[in-house]
Amino acid sequence: MTEISYIEKTSSKDVAGLLHPLVKEWFFSKFKDFSDTQLYGVKQIHDRKNILVSAPTGGTKTLTAFLSILNYLVDLSVKGELEDKVYAIYCSPLKALSNDIYVNLIDPLREIKELGEKKGIVIGDIRVGLRTGDTSVKDRVKMLRKAPHILVTTPETLAIVITTGKFVEKMNALEFLIIDEIHALTNKRGVYLSLTMERLCDLSVLDPVRIGLSATIAPLEEIAKFLVGSDRDCLIADVKLIKKIDISLGFPGIHILEAETVNSQKELYKMLDKIIQEHKTTLIFTNTRNATERIVHHLSMTFPEKYSGMIGAHHSSMSKDKRFEIEEKLRKGELRVVVSSTSLELGIDIGSVDFVVLLRSPKSVSRALQRIGRAGHKLHDNPRGMFIIMDRDDMVECGVLMKLMVEKTIDKTEIPKNALDVLAQQIFGMAITKIWEVENMLKVIRKSYCYENLTKDDFFSVVSYLAGDYALEHRNVYAKIWYDPQTKQIGKRGKLARVMYMTNVGTIPGESFIEVVIQSPAERRGQSVGKIDELFLERMKRGDVFVLGGQKYQYLYARGMKAFVKGDVSKNPTIPSWFSEMLPLNFDVALEIGRFRKLVKERIKNKKECVSFIENYLYCEGGVGEAIYEYFMEQAGFSEIPDENTIVIEKFKEEKEYLLFHSLYGRKVNDALARAYAYAAARLKYRDVEMGISDNGFFIAGECLDENKIVGLVKSKDLRVVLKEAIEKTDILRRRFRHCAARSLMILRNYKGREKSVGRQQVHSEFLYAAVRKISADFPIMREARREVMEDLMDVKNAERVLQWVEQGKIKLKKINTPIVSPFGLSLMLQGRSDLIRMEDKASFLKRMHELHMKVIGSKREEAKELQN
Amino acid sequence: MNKIEYIGKCLVVKTEGKKILVVGDLHLGYEEYLNQAGVFVSRQMFNEMIEEFDEILNKFGEVDEVVLLGDVKHDFGSVMWQERRDALGVFDYFEDKKIKIIIVKGNHDNLLGSVVAGRGIEVRDFYIIDEFCFAHGNRDFPEMHDKTIRCWVLGHGHPAIKLSDMVKVEKYKCFLEGEYERKKVVIVPSFLAYSEGSDPRENNLGLAWDFNFNKFKVRVVGEGLSVLDFGLLKNLT
Repeated sequence: MTEISYIEKTSSKDVAGLLHPLVKEWFFSKFKDFSDTQLYGVKQIHDRKNILVSAPTGGTKTLTAFLSILNYLVDLSVKGELEDKVYAIYCSPLKALSNDIYVNLIDPLREIKELGEKKGIVIGDIRVGLRTGDTSVKDRVKMLRKAPHILVTTPETLAIVITTGKFVEKMNALEFLIIDEIHALTNKRGVYLSLTMERLCDLSVLDPVRIGLSATIAPLEEIAKFLVGSDRDCLIADVKLIKKIDISLGFPGIHILEAETVNSQKELYKMLDKIIQEHKTTLIFTNTRNATERIVHHLSMTFPEKYSGMIGAHHSSMSKDKRFEIEEKLRKGELRVVVSSTSLELGIDIGSVDFVVLLRSPKSVSRALQRIGRAGHKLHDNPRGMFIIMDRDDMVECGVLMKLMVEKTIDKTEIPKNALDVLAQQIFGMAITKIWEVENMLKVIRKSYCYENLTKDDFFSVVSYLAGDYALEHRNVYAKIWYDPQTKQIGKRGKLARVMYMTNVGTIPGESFIEVVIQSPAERRGQSVGKIDELFLERMKRGDVFVLGGQKYQYLYARGMKAFVKGDVSKNPTIPSWFSEMLPLNFDVALEIGRFRKLVKERIKNKKECVSFIENYLYCEGGVGEAIYEYFMEQAGFSEIPDENTIVIEKFKEEKEYLLFHSLYGRKVNDALARAYAYAAARLKYRDVEMGISDNGFFIAGECLDENKIVGLVKSKDLRVVLKEAIEKTDILRRRFRHCAARSLMILRNYKGREKSVGRQQVHSEFLYAAVRKISADFPIMREARREVMEDLMDVKNAERVLQWVEQGKIKLKKINTPIVSPFGLSLMLQGRSDLIRMEDKASFLKRMHELHMKVIGSKREEAKELQN
Repeated sequence: MNKIEYIGKCLVVKTEGKKILVVGDLHLGYEEYLNQAGVFVSRQMFNEMIEEFDEILNKFGEVDEVVLLGDVKHDFGSVMWQERRDALGVFDYFEDKKIKIIIVKGNHDNLLGSVVAGRGIEVRDFYIIDEFCFAHGNRDFPEMHDKTIRCWVLGHGHPAIKLSDMVKVEKYKCFLEGEYERKKVVIVPSFLAYSEGSDPRENNLGLAWDFNFNKFKVRVVGEGLSVLDFGLLKNLT
């Protein structure tokens, strides 16, 4: 059993007492005293205890992890006992590591050595080796000859390193394993790392001490288990630095209702300019790439004299060099403002930023804290920032987020379990290093927290896939390993196995995007307005109107990797919007907003009391309370305010019948709920049903919707079964399958020395998808794609909870007929349809379309005849 | 009387007392090509293709000749093992039924000669019989413009059509049938499974002539070898 316990601080004297005199002298020559984080962590690491250190950004986490290790290595070196082996591995999900290493490792080691020389104490070379995907062959060979005592690496490179025969010998008595930024690894990348850690420990004769470093995140117990795996104990240091968060909420213009007009856009840039001018360096977070580029563009257009050369964009689809350049400029204080989507949330020290703007809701408390923590990264500066909101839903959401931030209520995150694609890649990696007894292999895998409940069936289905059992013909096409049921052993197959593994390691899927380019109007011709997925283009036909980055475009034609469109379109969108970039609202925050709605609803009759309640509750001022009150009043007058105990269902008719559910549970839960209700509706009439989802609710639309029957058909106990059916024909499943196929090495980026373009991969994967579906519905990688859609993309677990609350009467469904959509549902309706539940198959659709066309052709012939007569 | 009959993805031409089955781009070896490209799709297309031929011949009855409209094999650069085996498999299939095989050369077929060598199958640039001319479609030949020729049957374009009811879009393989220089032109969809092809309204089909597809008729390939007339392309919404 894993035992998780929280620890208290050790006294400064006790920590100092652990240090070698030289290290102690060096430390106090640099710092006045130990930081809180160090008081929590250093002794525990010294005592070789597994520990998760959670501290807000701006702590001194990295040195906390390294201080005991440096101390130990210096001590060994002085005694002349330093061996030629890797003592510690430091693994971080960030690629731009080198700067941090110098600060935290190389400089201290050099300074301690110099200090020793002054005193006549000889310290041998304590080697630090950096190994990432960019490390040259020469440097890698050097590391083989003389092992670094501390190896600094990324999760992907670590997986490669443990598959490299010779280097493994240097790591087989590893003593420390540090995982930095562990909060950023609650995804498949982390799942992958958890298996890599177990493989590493399996290689090593010692079980290394595990040290996890994390920003504010919840639940810490879960992250601790993830760090240590099963059957190891872990301590948690929950370092709560008493940093006061200085955060406010504002909107451009005088009245929030103006927020989306051209005029208010002007006001927004005026507002941003004012903020930037008041601070040294401002960091603006948007939620999307497109918004990032738009802000940079408009700021430099509106104020060319102020921002030329002083503004930078930073997002994940920019080249590494370009991003690094911006980071460097930030560090040197050469920029006044940087606009980022999500890429600057993590780690690297970005120096001079003293104010953070959160443009639109960051959707979770930990994300908001992470973002605002980028200002005042130095230990004792308080983080300072401001939410700028653009509509009234955003205002309510950011208000509640602000309350939770101030009160430090952290929302929960989850780590994927039993991911079969990641498992496939790792089993392959394991088989490359040696011949395994199958039971042993399973035992190592189950030590990972992400696989501790892996069933034998699942395990063997992945083994079967890798061994080529699913190929209808030519098993060698699939086979990457062999499995002998007689001897119960597993090994690699083929000479290319190792190279194939090394060149395709990793879990971050490549995406291929089609560039959207304006064809008309003439004055904007050639302008690139953003990118869309290839699959999305496939679902569009000439003349369709779609939304990209908040703007409408009409699709004209495609050439190669470009789609040409008409801008300035007034027609309504004819196809679902492209949502890939949307961050989902965290479930816990969503529930808090539901509670807030209820509290406001209870006080709505007395305006004065209610406004002051809102202002006190959300810690906000400056007209926000009043604006929120008016928004709620409008909703109450029109239909009813939905809250934590009431899901209001509005029924109204436009060109179709609509059922709009005000279910404020975040888009991950709403995605699952919407599909379940839409599927029920589709089954009733045997026709396709449209659906739209947002964080605040969802709608379903069809020709005739019988809400009583539909609502009665959706039950918590059937949800998973229904969803499995409902997602079967969706594009999202195809898309996720492509990612899973790449992770499980069914589609290789790099094969026989040739790198494949993602576009190529995508065309291929479409073909693969069609082929796999014919082989078996239970093909493990297809099952993983379904799991990923249901559990990672959607949140089926919490959707079940919501349905249970409905069944238990905790939540009432209240149907109201409305003439049009109510204020709370407006933005959901405006954003349009997001998917379709396909009931009608391709053949019946063709038949229906043909009949329709025959009628048109027929009536044209009639007309022609009449004209002739 | 000459007649064109549509049957699934194929067509049958009756002329000079012969019945000629016409098959669009086959792209044999596509799966092996994918495997080489690092996509581990299993090999199942060949068997499915033979099943489809069976179905067509069962429904239509005997034919005398089969014309393969080019791009019989997929890979440009070399002849892969699966390509050779599948191509020979296709030849065996038709020869067992005493059907004469005629291949017009496609842009993917550079090395096809080595596959057909010794089988007595001729690979031609085009095949003219009576008033019909069969060609791949990527190249023009002066002989095709002879005034005795009244109909071109072409491949290469992989025509497909997107249909929409304003709610969803689906894509189907289709024939395009129209006129060019007072000759009838029929463009045959690819035979390749799993990939529908390109919509002429959005993509350039890469044919050697500048056809006005707006005035072409669209015949959509449906289930069970049916082919549905959707009228002129310009009238399709």
